Amino acid sequence: MPAPSPPPDPRDLPRLFKSRAELNALLQQEFPEAQGELSPIRGGRKAAEVKLSKVDPARYARSRNHLSGAVTGLSPYIRHGVFSLAEVRNAVFRRISRRDDGTKLINELGWRDFWQRMWQDLGDGIQQDQEEHKTGHDAGSYAPELPQDVRDGSTGLACMDGFRDELVSTGWLHNHARMWLAAYLVHWRRVHWRAGADWFLEHLLDGDPASNHLSWQWVASCFSHKPYFFNRDNLERYSNGRFCRDCASAGQCPFEGSYDALEDQLFAVSAPVRDVPARGRAQRRRR
Amino acid sequence: MDLSNPIVWVHEEALGPANPALEDCPQAPALFVFDDDWIKAQSISRKRLGFLYECALELPLTLRRGDVVAEVLAFAKRCDADGVVTSGAVDPRLNRYASRINRELPLWILDGDPFVELPRPPRLGRFSRYWREAEAVVWEDFRGS
Repeated sequence: MPAPSPPPDPRDLPRLFKSRAELNALLQQEFPEAQGELSPIRGGRKAAEVKLSKVDPARYARSRNHLSGAVTGLSPYIRHGVFSLAEVRNAVFRRISRRDDGTKLINELGWRDFWQRMWQDLGDGIQQDQEEHKTGHDAGSYAPELPQDVRDGSTGLACMDGFRDELVSTGWLHNHARMWLAAYLVHWRRVHWRAGADWFLEHLLDGDPASNHLSWQWVASCFSHKPYFFNRDNLERYSNGRFCRDCASAGQCPFEGSYDALEDQLFAVSAPVRDVPARGRAQRRRR
Repeated sequence: MDLSNPIVWVHEEALGPANPALEDCPQAPALFVFDDDWIKAQSISRKRLGFLYECALELPLTLRRGDVVAEVLAFAKRCDADGVVTSGAVDPRLNRYASRINRELPLWILDGDPFVELPRPPRLGRFSRYWREAEAVVWEDFRGS
């Protein structure tokens, strides 16, 4: 669409590119400190509309916890207002005839609205622990820096290195992968949630301090009444075993074990922190 | 007081056609600024910058980089504007910029269509509390078969 033209200025950034390679080169020149390459996920309303046209609320409800499930991929566009939440809500309403088919997806949009309201309330306070940690470990005992092997994707754990690679190359991760990676960092590696949350914001196209920081705190247990953790069985099931099959660490997987055993290993609390539903039902609360 | 010749400041939370400032002032020159301080402080990767850039290219915007407040004020001067129109932001960083712009020029902040309009501020703290109050109101607009 034609832009209302202000008087020209040579320091305006260009609007015409022959290709994405040209845009990539311009960004490299203008922002040399910004790491990495372009994401295969394109910005803009046209790309967002293609994603929206593929949204299937009923399939989303059934399959969203699986890495290969029918998730929408709309989060980067919603985060930056390419679509407003109200527009997506209306699109979901138009696409369903029964309320039940849209309940889960509308619920997820509600989460986005909730995080934004929390941010409005807390302001820069979202950077701080909202509550005490319920892990039995002192907040000061969590390392303030992201471990280099996690940043490099060289932990030797196929799942975690795979999630890191996807995060860094595409700028998007399935919500379940975000939760597993966050739980691994905070509970297995004893890294403070803020180090992981800041790392995510470097890369996530939907990087939103409210959703991101408060969800990390939810995993860590300082925005929740218990820590979120998982075991190999859970990860394997919702990833269709794609990581475990060829994992060099499969023989000494740190996630192997029952929830009881892992809880004893990870946390230092006298009363059980877990509340794990029976196998086959929906997994514990997602973000 | 009406603004007779405003500019529109588009920020990172409203890079779409439903931006109420763009909807309200389709003829006004509009600006998006890549925030150098934020990019540096948060080590924002090129992926994110490219995504923002591609969003911005589909809107009628002039693109700049630098200090957001200085760039918005300079753009207003360049366009001989008597004020700035923008959309309401949640990010405290953007709201700080808005306050600083408003010290120099009249600033109108417009809100878009909300996800849910509640009769009173909901109880937050936990999602379940909020959703108990909000869910039924969200679904009021649904006309199923």
